[in-house]
Amino acid sequence: MIGSVFLETYRQTWKQMLYWGLGLSALGMLVVVMVPLFDMQQMRDLLESFPAFVLALVGVGDELEIFATNEGFVAIGFFGKSALIFAVYPVVMGMRITANDEDSGIMDVVLSLPVERARVIIEKFLAYAVSIIGVVLLIYLGLHLGALLGGVELDVGRLAEVTFYLVPLMIFVMAVTMFIGVVIRRRQVALGLITAFVIMSYMLQTIGTAGEGTVAETIGIVSFLTYYNAGDILSQGFIWPHIAGYALLSVVLLLASMHQYERRDIAV
Amino acid sequence: MLRRNASQESGSEESNMASGSVIATTGLTKAYGSGSQITLALDKLDLRVNQGEIFGYLGPNGAGKTTTIRLLLDLIRPSSGSATIFDMDVRAQSVEIHSRIGFMPGELSLWEGRTGLQIINYIASVRGDAKGIAKNADEIAERLQLDTSKRVRDLSSGNKRKLGLVLALMHEPELLILDEPTGGLDPLVQQTFHEMMNEYREKGKTVFLSSHVLSEVQAICDRVGILRDGDLKAVESVERLTHVEFHHIEVDFRDAIPAGLQEQLANMPQVSQLSANGNRISMRLVGDFDPLLRAIGAGYVELLRVEEPTLEDIFLAFYSDKEKAS
Repeated sequence: MIGSVFLETYRQTWKQMLYWGLGLSALGMLVVVMVPLFDMQQMRDLLESFPAFVLALVGVGDELEIFATNEGFVAIGFFGKSALIFAVYPVVMGMRITANDEDSGIMDVVLSLPVERARVIIEKFLAYAVSIIGVVLLIYLGLHLGALLGGVELDVGRLAEVTFYLVPLMIFVMAVTMFIGVVIRRRQVALGLITAFVIMSYMLQTIGTAGEGTVAETIGIVSFLTYYNAGDILSQGFIWPHIAGYALLSVVLLLASMHQYERRDIAV
Repeated sequence: MLRRNASQESGSEESNMASGSVIATTGLTKAYGSGSQITLALDKLDLRVNQGEIFGYLGPNGAGKTTTIRLLLDLIRPSSGSATIFDMDVRAQSVEIHSRIGFMPGELSLWEGRTGLQIINYIASVRGDAKGIAKNADEIAERLQLDTSKRVRDLSSGNKRKLGLVLALMHEPELLILDEPTGGLDPLVQQTFHEMMNEYREKGKTVFLSSHVLSEVQAICDRVGILRDGDLKAVESVERLTHVEFHHIEVDFRDAIPAGLQEQLANMPQVSQLSANGNRISMRLVGDFDPLLRAIGAGYVELLRVEEPTLEDIFLAFYSDKEKAS
């Protein structure tokens, strides 16, 4: 039955989605509640005193005005780092699409059923994508709750944009993980590669942000994290070309994974 | 010679193809690696399994049994050759084939955090007709005395095998493919399993099972195929195969081996592979024990060891006898 793999995958995942969502939303709530403790003008002065490289490490570019607002504080305090923590979740889910089940031998049972390999991939991918949306939704609710509890005024629209921008970003990370898992049959090697990919991307983004106007900025272009800049989103709203880029690459990786998985032996 | 025997057997079955072999492979080959590092896991397998039979697929570990099964299930792709199930190509029509077969892998892995019932419901939903399948699953689980409310992680290895059998049987498939199905099952459940397989055959359904347990093969299989190093050595009926009866014998004398005993034994047609070491004499004995007991009666026998032949012994004996006869 179409959708059965999707439903079962989701059933097996909702608890992790809940735990991750609650954990990250608690972190977000804490950051929001802390907003009244800081004087935003002092914050701006403090940021200006930092060298560019240090600012880059905390995810701040040249948009200091924005980061001296409540939303900007939340962006630095939460979104700058949470994206990296959150990236573990799509890596875990991406590994589950094929690599983990293949490694454990479960895939032999699944593929002995009347179901195409491509269908298994696409239904699992969609189920995990839905779980990513669930985590993001919980993060958003956590930020809101923090604002209510702390009496903090936040631009709901901008906050939603920054938060939900995480969805295409995380789905892209999951797609990369899935693709590596499909191409590299050994689970541990695949996991090592995707971890290196995420860490390298973070380093390149940091270098790129720190060295704006220099060759470092060009290097930063190749990092997928460069296109998730909380400051840019706060000032410009959704940056649709970036979202389209994540979506397009995710679809390409999904199709490539389906194609490759159809062709190769299932490992034991 | 052995190869010729296998080919002859295959050749004699060409007519069965016309009547619809359930499984048919032609030159099915699987090699791993490349260049000088190539390992041949399966070499030009020509095999026919007929409808309504229980076919035992035998061989030592690493012989290629699981490779054959994974090729039939389209989990791995052949280096050359082809395979059909129900006259459909195992690769091009895998989904249709899989809807009509039940499979249990040798090393069964399932979702550790899910209960047996949850897994049954999931597999049933993928197969469609979830209600009907779940009802069958209940009956099979009851027969195998399996508690489906437990999580997989809490099941013993034997109970995991039972769950695997439920999953393979619950949709009443036309063909069962079972890789070492009774490993880890207690004798009572093994007996139930044998009964179920016999009932299955009576319904005109087909079973392809790999095993290295001779008693199991003798109990339920109609024919067996012998695989060694990826090469199908023979396909024989169980009846013919088990006709060869012999034992390995060791006799320990308290004193020296009685004079003339070795010559006497060497002249007995039912004794072969005779050897002596100190006070011990070893041999292979075909048929009754009485002539041997009378012959060794001249000495004081301290210990008499009788060993059942291994499956491989039987096959070696079977084919060496066949060669002599030809």
